[in-house]
This record gives sequence, C-alpha cells and structure tokens, in this order.
Amino acid sequence: MTTKRSAAGLAGLARSAPWLFSFVGALVIFAVTLAANNWSGAGQIITAALSFGAFYAIVGIGQMFVITTGPGNIDLSVPATIALAGAIAMTTMGGSDAMILPGLAAAIAAGFLIGSFNYLLIWLLRIPPIIATLSSSFIVQSLAIVYGRGLRIAPPPFLAEIATGRVLGVPILAIVTILLAVVMAVVLHRSVYGRSVTAIGQNINAADLAGVRVGTMRFATYALSACFAAFCGVMLAAFSGGASLNMGEEYLLASIAVVVIGGTSVAGGFSNVSGIWGAALFLYLLITMLNTLGVGAGLRQIFTGVIIVAVITLAGGRKKGRG
Amino acid sequence: MVRTKLICLAGALALSAAMPAFAQDADTSDKNVALSNNYAGNSWRQAMIKSWQEATAKAVEDGVVASADANTTAENSATEQAAQLQNMILQGYDAIVLNAASPTALNGAVKEACDAGITVVSFDATVTEECAWRIAVDFKKMGVDQIDYLAERYPDGGPLLEIRGLPGTSVDEQIHAGILEGIEKHPQFEIAREVQGDWTQTVAQKSVASVLPSLPDVVGVVTQGGDGYGAARAFEAAGREVPTIIMGNRSDELQWWKEQKDENGYETFSQSIAPGVSTLGFWVAQQILAGADVPKDLQVPTLRIDQDGLDQGLEMTPEGGVTNKEYTREEAQELISSAK
Repeated sequence: MTTKRSAAGLAGLARSAPWLFSFVGALVIFAVTLAANNWSGAGQIITAALSFGAFYAIVGIGQMFVITTGPGNIDLSVPATIALAGAIAMTTMGGSDAMILPGLAAAIAAGFLIGSFNYLLIWLLRIPPIIATLSSSFIVQSLAIVYGRGLRIAPPPFLAEIATGRVLGVPILAIVTILLAVVMAVVLHRSVYGRSVTAIGQNINAADLAGVRVGTMRFATYALSACFAAFCGVMLAAFSGGASLNMGEEYLLASIAVVVIGGTSVAGGFSNVSGIWGAALFLYLLITMLNTLGVGAGLRQIFTGVIIVAVITLAGGRKKGRG
Repeated sequence: MVRTKLICLAGALALSAAMPAFAQDADTSDKNVALSNNYAGNSWRQAMIKSWQEATAKAVEDGVVASADANTTAENSATEQAAQLQNMILQGYDAIVLNAASPTALNGAVKEACDAGITVVSFDATVTEECAWRIAVDFKKMGVDQIDYLAERYPDGGPLLEIRGLPGTSVDEQIHAGILEGIEKHPQFEIAREVQGDWTQTVAQKSVASVLPSLPDVVGVVTQGGDGYGAARAFEAAGREVPTIIMGNRSDELQWWKEQKDENGYETFSQSIAPGVSTLGFWVAQQILAGADVPKDLQVPTLRIDQDGLDQGLEMTPEGGVTNKEYTREEAQELISSAK
C-alpha cells in the first residue's frame, strides 16, 4: 500500500517537477563522494563541478530546444561545431584582448551558418534530422581540419580569465551560464518562440493549424543549437589554453544525456531548463565520485551506464502519466 | 689500348662484385606505392599524412618510385578500409603502406593483396596477417621507461597518478601493462589513482580536476601522451604544486614545460612516436620492392626528449602539432639491418 502510494507520489513529482531528480541525483552522488573523501574538499569539488558543468549546460540548452520540437529531432553536429568555432575564434582573436568580440561574433556566425545548413538539409531535401546533422558534421569537421590544421593559438588573457577565473570562489563562467539558463528558461516558458517550440513538439499538425510558423520556428531552433555549440567551443578553447580538433568529441553524448537526465521528454513537447544544470552537475560529480572511489576503467563505464539508467527511470514517471 | 681495356674489365669486375651489396638499391622507379590510412581527425594523423606527402613527393621527383598516393577513409572503420584495400588491389599498386583500423579485421583484405603479389607494410596500428610486414611500436616499453625515469628522480618512490587512454584499446592496455611492470621493478612506487584521459587535453584536464580533491600528494603523473598539458592545467587551477608529469611530445606540453623550466627549473622527459613514421613505412616498402631481405617484424624507434634536448625538441615540433621527424632511406636500411 505504502509502496503504491509512494510510487504514485513519485510519478506525480516527476510530472510537476521533472528537474528535481537530476538535482537529487547530483546531491546523493556529492554526499557519497564526500563520505569517501572523509568529508573534506567540498568547496573544491563544487567549484570544479560548476566550471566543468557549465560546458555541459551550454550545449545542453541548445540541444534541449531541438529535442523539444518533437520525435526525431536531434543535433549531432555539436562536436564538429565546437571544433570549428573554437578554431575560428582563437584564430580571429590571435591572442589579443581587443579582438575578443569580433572573434566571438565570427564563431557565433559560423554556428548560425552551420545551424542554417542543417535545417536546409532537413527542409529542402527532407532528410531526417539525425542523418542531416550527422552528414553536415562530417563536412564541418573536415572544414575544421583544413582550417585549423591542429593550430593551437593561446586565447586572449581577458577571455581566459573569464573562462577560468572566479569571483568569491564561484567560477565566472558558471555565473554567466546560470544567467544564460535563466534567460533561456524565460524564453522557453514565456516567449512566443518558446511556446511555439513546445507546441510543435506536442503535435506538429495542431501547431500548424493553430497558426504557429512551424518552418521558421524549427529553423530558429537548429540555428540556436549550433550557436550555443559555437559559444561552448569558444569558451572551451579559452578554458583549455587553445582550440584542438577533438575537444568537442565528448559533447555529442553529453549534450543529449544532460537533456534527458534533466527531465526533458525525448518524445518532445515537454522540457525544462533548470534540470539541465542539475544533470550537468550530476554528470561531472559522477566522474568525481568514480575517481574518488578509485573505480577502474572497465567498471567505471558500467557504473556510469547503470547510474544514468537509474536516474532516467526514476525521472521517467511522466511518460506513463501521459498515455 | 690493351691497358685501357684491362682497366675497363677490372672496373666491370669490381662493379659486379659490388652488385649484391647494392641489391636493395635495385631500380624501383616504375613501382607504385599507396598509403592506406584509417583516420585523419587529430593533429598526429594530420602530421603523419603531411610527412608522407612531403617525403614521397621528393622520392617521386628523384625517380625512386613512380607514385606514392595517400588515401584516408572518412570514418575510422575497418569495413571501409577493407573496401579501400580491395580498390587498391584492382588499381594494381606494387606496395601498400597501411595504418590499420583493426589488427585483425583487415586480415582478409591484406591476404588478398599479398596473393595478388602486393607488398603490404603495416605501421603504427599493425595487422596480424603473416604475409604483411609490421613496423610496430613497443608501447609496453613506453610504460616501463616512465617508471624507470621516476625511479632515478625519486629513489624513495611515492604515490603516482596514472592517466589512462581510450578504454578498451590495445594501446591503452599495453602502456598500462608497461607501467605495472615498471612498478614491479621499482616497488617503492604505487598508483594512488587512475583516471581516464582519452589522450585528449580537455578530457584529461577534467578527469584530473575531479580526482584532485581526494588525491594525496603524488610525486609523479604517468601518462600516455596528449594528456600532460591538461593534467598540468588542472593542478595549477587547483593551486597545487605540479608534480613531475611525463609529457608526450605535443607542442602545448613542450611549451608549458619550457615555461616552467625557465621559471623554476621544472624537470621531466617527453616521449612519443613521430608522425613521420609513415615515411619509415614508405622506405621499408621501397627496400622490399628493391629486393632487400627484410624481417617481418620491425620496431619503431621512440622519439624521446630529455631536459637538455628540450630546445631542439621544440624546434622539431610544429605549432599545435607533435614533435616530428621524417625518416630517410638510410635510416630505414639501418633499422632493417639491426633487426636481422
């Protein structure tokens, strides 16, 4: 009886606060890590989690808007965009503080072009998004190789300071990304664009009949995702002392994982921004916990898989409630 | 008159006596060589292809071979590379120099090439098929050498941090096995923690940062290359003293080392395989085509940079790349005779 009720309560919670589970998961993992570490190093762990989590959050927010537009919508060009945008930004800036804004603009513009190209393939050639964004990522990655040739130019000092610096112990990049998340939450829940995206994800035909400009909105969404990936590429290059060709690789699965763990429905039409931050912290703390416990390479992958499945299962109460 | 004739005869005799020694310099100017490569998505492979192109362009110009094309598959996939090999068989190349996507999955295609009379030389990532030559890297030794070096620096030993490569790859397993072997030899060392670095600075930086709060003071960080700079940045960001990090010949690693050396006399060593090893593959293939007797298993020399050689090492390292060196025909001949 009690289990039944608590199960129903859990499902209800998943519906009203889907973002909660990623934060609870992050907290649990944080507690385990601290216990294993004799309750020391908390500040250091949190600081690191905020700065590395920020990168997951940036790409996650863009990916979330894409996934929200309904089944089949996904952006696989994220890693290639990160590589190209990082290289463009570092080359344009050339290590000079005065060139930060032009460099950032050039990288974001490249992101916008990649996103537009993605949607062009989807819309004009009617290719499924998964294939369209995958094939464009090959092209973009090749461009990054030709353009960058592994060139490593140090970021301008001021940009490096933003990427790695702290204010009162809190990483500056994390503050910027939290502000970005707040703005995007307002955009998602309050703006015409955000509501259109959700409507398209729930039922694309109904949205069309209701007067939503489906094509424009989907175009904007793919462009947005690529711009966020580009921004992530710039900050990642600034953070790690220069752009490298393979720095985006881990963000393909991570960008999707933070969206799903954050409580956004993979089927689209139901999403939230705050869960992405919870999931970003969760993913990083998971690495910290496994490293603190000294788990070997093979077991680590198994643990990562099992824990992610567990959180998604817990947070997935919503899907049952939907039918 | 008679005398000149005699001299001519003597000359001809001397020449014919010398012929066997020059056998490996037999004419290969009508031979076509191809490079089959499975991946081009990082700076090491980019440099590898570039070295191939530069060295072989000169060899073609000098009339050593007729052509030496470089081919790379789009995706790092064994099936695609097998198809590429089959195309090369049809195109009628005389030799294929191969960096393989898999040690075993290409064996069928390699055997077909051998049966068609094509010389197959695999390097870096080699194939197990017996008809092919192998220029392999002794990854295990790269692990042992790191502990040997640390044992010299820190005779009392101490805890170490190990950064692993891509999990599940044989390179990662072999370097790791070498490190364990080194620790068996010098039991005063122990691995305090191991983290996953994927041979990528950004991944290593994140992994090391995540382990630092719980990491005791370590004397050294043993690595696999491409992860040393990320580790150094993680230690610096946490405000901890940077231990002796073994580097992997990447330009960012060497530049950081140089800065530290000038500032506080930081000491370490750096090692990796030069991407120009592709040119060693080319010359070995050329030697085989020229009729030289070449053992099937050869060992790639490691390019090692020590404290004194850092400046020279930096000169040999292109901005953003890996320390490189193009091998010559003479070096290939030396490698072959030392393996006999």
